[in-house]
Amino acid sequence: MPYILQQLLTQSAERHAERTAVCARGRSLSYRELNERSNQLAHFLREHGVKKGDRVGLFFPKAVESVVAMFGALKAGAVYVPLDPNQPAERIIYIISNCGIKALVASEDRLRTLDPAAIPSVEFVLLTHELANGSPRPNTFPWSALTSFPSSHAPELEATTTDLAYILYTSGSTGRPKGVMLSHQNALTFVEWCAEMFQIKCDDRLSNHAPLHFDLSVFDVYNGIKAGASVYMVPDETAVFPASLAKWIEQEQITVWYSVPSALVHLVLHGRLSAEKLVKLRLILFAGEVFPQKYLKQLAELLPHIELYNLYGPTETNVCTYYRVDRAKLPGMDKLPIGRACANTEVFAVDEHDRIVGVGGVGELYVRGPAVTPGYWRDPEKTAKMCLPNRFQPNFDEKMYRTGDLVTPDENGDYYFLGRRDSQIKSRGYRIELGEIEAALLSHSGVCEAAAVAVPDEEVGNRIKAFVAPHQPGGLSAVELQQHCATRVPKYMIPEFIELCEGLPKTSTGKIDRVRLSQTSSRAAD
Amino acid sequence: MTAEPGSIKGLIRQFVMESGQGKGVKEIGDNDSLTESGVIDSLGIFRLVSFLEENVGVHIGDDEILQDNFRSIADIERFVAAKLASQGEKAGSIQ
Repeated sequence: MPYILQQLLTQSAERHAERTAVCARGRSLSYRELNERSNQLAHFLREHGVKKGDRVGLFFPKAVESVVAMFGALKAGAVYVPLDPNQPAERIIYIISNCGIKALVASEDRLRTLDPAAIPSVEFVLLTHELANGSPRPNTFPWSALTSFPSSHAPELEATTTDLAYILYTSGSTGRPKGVMLSHQNALTFVEWCAEMFQIKCDDRLSNHAPLHFDLSVFDVYNGIKAGASVYMVPDETAVFPASLAKWIEQEQITVWYSVPSALVHLVLHGRLSAEKLVKLRLILFAGEVFPQKYLKQLAELLPHIELYNLYGPTETNVCTYYRVDRAKLPGMDKLPIGRACANTEVFAVDEHDRIVGVGGVGELYVRGPAVTPGYWRDPEKTAKMCLPNRFQPNFDEKMYRTGDLVTPDENGDYYFLGRRDSQIKSRGYRIELGEIEAALLSHSGVCEAAAVAVPDEEVGNRIKAFVAPHQPGGLSAVELQQHCATRVPKYMIPEFIELCEGLPKTSTGKIDRVRLSQTSSRAAD
Repeated sequence: MTAEPGSIKGLIRQFVMESGQGKGVKEIGDNDSLTESGVIDSLGIFRLVSFLEENVGVHIGDDEILQDNFRSIADIERFVAAKLASQGEKAGSIQ
């Protein structure tokens, strides 16, 4: 039984050496190639001083090298940190310094966006390609530097299942992203459950639609590799065009698709999906946000032969509950459950009186088990707030994670998601703290007050609107503020609408009246 | 309404620049990829299509919203020009 993630690869490389492991933009690697290349990368990292537990950042658009880098870092005993190549440099620099990234695997054009003086922790960089015009900076190596290292085996490593494997950064309510630490055990708990549940086999072809810094991709990559199956990475630009995406699924003969619902909604609305064309597709999994029932029903009708599953779970637990869509019941259902706990995981809802709720009760969902994160990178305060001692089990010390999601269980034991306890929202499946957007707006010198609100939207979950009171009336424009946000937060967090006002409405206690602002913006959207 | 052929590129550029501005993109070349720079995303593409339908007078089917047709400003212009020409032919053949 594998207890560290890289064993999934070494085992498949023995059994399926010449099968395709990963394919991206027309380039592919066999299991033998992926195993050998990642061995070389691990030796390279060690040679340049990477020690067990050191952080290695991945900063380039998705490519076959992404999977080499993930496994190479793990085989060196390092912790990899996927960095979104589309995020503003300032946020990337923050993440690099926050977790002290020692080595970067990067593309030259992404690397150029980072001022070397701003990332002093980075000791060296491996480019995912050859040098274009000589070495752009010191301690930067071309991909071909790997060829001089041993490929037949990985460096020796003493590792246990509780070692960290990767850190995923998510939006933080105080204005800075926070690093969710995930161990090998966290990931494997999920992967082992999936393997059993979805019966992934070596002739499966899994799509990889989610970005690598998004935990949905953990399913695609590690389940594909475990099974000796092939992982097909969706080119970013194909994902924008539903008809192109539907064709891609058909041409690559994808058998298992996993994405956020909004990607599927676009396929339903504009992808011209047809069961005759997608004959190989057998399973669709979705997670990250609520799938609007109307479009889920349409998807089920368009593709009558495909099994559909709703998966649920924050990055801190990966997937912790699942619901298999019952086609017979779907037409009469007005809300889809998030379902029940995955294997090796327990979930329960706790109400405001600190009692576990029964059927029909409402409470916050708590998760316990080996899938739960050890916490946030170097943030014991935040960790203590979210990962609490399990007071419902007094016999020994263990932690449980509070999701912040309000749920209700039904008589079948399935849970339903009702909403959030705080100001976290989902837009196109991205987890967004409105506080991070407000912090970005407030960092503009002309802004006196700012509030971001979610405007519910059927296709994308939520759109973002902001209300801003400038220090001086007339001194600011919405576009100027959007441009300012673009330097601090990812594009999907930039408010789509910004309303400038003289002052924001206040509650009787003097706080910004968010309820009133939300009501105004929902009405405006109608 | 149907725009004059010479101004179509101007209209496309204007729309693209306005979408880009809000995302912090200040310069876009005729052949730059609109998706790579993040100017056009999965929502933006449908706003662009509606814009073209309303302002240029083309009818664009879902099966035509492909990356080959919408990669760059130049690609969109070529696609729209070809669409207008074929719509013109059809209109001519009806008469």
